[in-house]
Amino acid sequence: MPIHESDICVIGGGITAAMLVERLAELKPGLRITVVEAGRSIFDRENRGQYHRRALEYGEHPWHDDFIADQQAEGMISMTMAVGGQALHWGGACNRFSEEDLRLKSMYGLAEDWPLSWAELERYYVEAERRLNVAGDPSPYPEDRRSAPYPQPAMPLSYNLQVLKKWAEQSGLKFSPLPMSRNVSAPFGGRGQCGLYDTCGDVCPTGARYSPDYTYQQLIAAKKVTLHDRMLIRRLVVDEGRSTVAMAQGYHQDRPGEVTEYRARQFVLASGQCWSPHLLLLSASARFPNGVANRSGLVGRFMNGHKFISAQATIDEETFPGQNMTHSLISREFFRCGPGTAFVRHDTRVWESSAGKEPRLRGAGGGLLLGDEVLDDWRGRALKGSSVRLRTYYDSHPSIDSRLSLDPASKNRYGDPMPRLERRLDAAAEAREAATLAHCTAVFERMARASNGRLSGPPSVSTYWDHPAGGCRMGADPATSVVDSHGRSHDHENLFVIGAPTLPTGGCTNGTLTFVALSLRSAVKIAES
Amino acid sequence: MNRRALLQWLASGAVSLPVWRADLSAVGLAQADLLSTGHVFVLRDVATTVLPSAIGAKGQAEAVDNFLRWLRDYREGVPLSHGYGEPRLVRSGPSPAPGYGNQLAALQQAATGRGGRFGALPLDTRRAILDSALTEAGVQNLPQRPDGRHVVADLMAHYFRSSAANDLCYHARIGRHTYRAIRVTTVRPTPFSGGRGL
Repeated sequence: MPIHESDICVIGGGITAAMLVERLAELKPGLRITVVEAGRSIFDRENRGQYHRRALEYGEHPWHDDFIADQQAEGMISMTMAVGGQALHWGGACNRFSEEDLRLKSMYGLAEDWPLSWAELERYYVEAERRLNVAGDPSPYPEDRRSAPYPQPAMPLSYNLQVLKKWAEQSGLKFSPLPMSRNVSAPFGGRGQCGLYDTCGDVCPTGARYSPDYTYQQLIAAKKVTLHDRMLIRRLVVDEGRSTVAMAQGYHQDRPGEVTEYRARQFVLASGQCWSPHLLLLSASARFPNGVANRSGLVGRFMNGHKFISAQATIDEETFPGQNMTHSLISREFFRCGPGTAFVRHDTRVWESSAGKEPRLRGAGGGLLLGDEVLDDWRGRALKGSSVRLRTYYDSHPSIDSRLSLDPASKNRYGDPMPRLERRLDAAAEAREAATLAHCTAVFERMARASNGRLSGPPSVSTYWDHPAGGCRMGADPATSVVDSHGRSHDHENLFVIGAPTLPTGGCTNGTLTFVALSLRSAVKIAES
Repeated sequence: MNRRALLQWLASGAVSLPVWRADLSAVGLAQADLLSTGHVFVLRDVATTVLPSAIGAKGQAEAVDNFLRWLRDYREGVPLSHGYGEPRLVRSGPSPAPGYGNQLAALQQAATGRGGRFGALPLDTRRAILDSALTEAGVQNLPQRPDGRHVVADLMAHYFRSSAANDLCYHARIGRHTYRAIRVTTVRPTPFSGGRGL
């Protein structure tokens, strides 16, 4: 039976693990760090131009074999399981949460406070932005004060977004370029400069949009980490008579009958909001019948993220769809909820759009269009004003029954039950759903009215929660949380959970920067341990 | 019309295509595995009707060549995009080439039944033939990318959803999904000098 020993064993090879390992190697050079990832390494970046082309022309998935067919979860919004994780194909959005996210209970009597101060988190936001080389402009809202500037000026607004910013700001809301983890002005971190292929969410041919595979390759080349890919950890084993984790048991995809033991002084669970609580639940034993780190019974509970409301508007201004469709504008106007008003928090986003202005095969009367007729019909719609895509991600507080559970009806090749995720709002959030939709609709209508625009239809509420998090929420009280503010398990002193699973609530804007900031903070504590 | 009948029809001299003839060898097509020479002739003939005249005969021929390259490089059984928000595994289907061949033969058969070569028929007749074929194939709109339901809709989608067609529509050099320096996108796109009426 193979046995691997290290100082720190990191389970999961996504963006938070990449950042954690990079930081640990700086804090304690010489640490023996092993990263174990269930999926494979996809380090063929020389082929990404080709993958980009085939994704556009054929709709092919550009990350070949980045999933494990029998390791899937019901309710998960991505199949990806590979070195780099879902950040292989994220858009690169790097918004900060706001202080209100950490003080929901004390400010509004809702959900739960986070067990750390805003000033503390803000320090790590700065560090995360530096490592991800975020391009952003200071927020026009003074409450969004920063202790350090962004490492790069904002991604320059396309002509289209300049037009849309003027349009949107007539409503009185202030908009900024969305902060992005993209090398705008020069290569950085071994990655190229942005060439505006505009396929960030699929594959970036130059690597300008941060992707963790670059970090792993650099760490491996520098011998700062040992990476074991295609190795599924199925169980954490706790020391007999003690509360420390003794080992993680893994199974390689090519050797499903052979257990590999990972022994380490510290174990870090960095497998995201789905697979982290799943492994803890799966590690149940006679001594820990509810799973590892689950004395509170809250592993897999309070699964969060946020819902969103989408709309399309048509405006009179002229734009040219296709300039930079993956960049957007953001307003943080409603990150704060004033006293005496009904609670609602959300960001407000604006993208260029070609909705309703695509070529079509049949005209308004249903007749078949051919050749020049297609072009004339297309121009008749495309050159008359513009479409705008609008969205709000809104604060959606989870109930305790918003959960990840083990699904006995779905098992992998080993017979392990797979996760089932069911997200539910708490009672207060459920009660304000209609008011939130009405509020966001009013915001969209206000934007449209202020500048002679029209909503193309009623706004719609998402059918899933975006930017998912939770399942191992942090807190000071072991009875009401799974880990402390550094991600250390209340039950097992040498077990940490980092990143998305630790969030008590999911905020009202993209979460990745927050996952990374929290992980960098955890790194300091792990290094001290 | 089967393949032999199609070739006989082509050899009879009924074909006199007023289109730009691209060098197919440059495209590198293994036609026996894809579409026959006769099918490609019909496709080029149909292209003059379904692609815009603004790109000229040469542009139409190039659009067909690009579509044939797409067909040549098509891969079966490949996972399609299942990125963030799309947690379902869908694989590409079988090559559409055999279906395309049958559809092109059927189009020419319909044209022959109405008096001759497709491109030489009155526009209303061509429209009726295509409308019938597309309706039978269940095609109501242009697919996002060729999906194998009908060769004509797929040819049109391949061109009209291209970056070049987007530029032509907007009379502007937008260059969607092509490499561009960021500064290029920060100003109003430069006017597109080609195309009808510009």
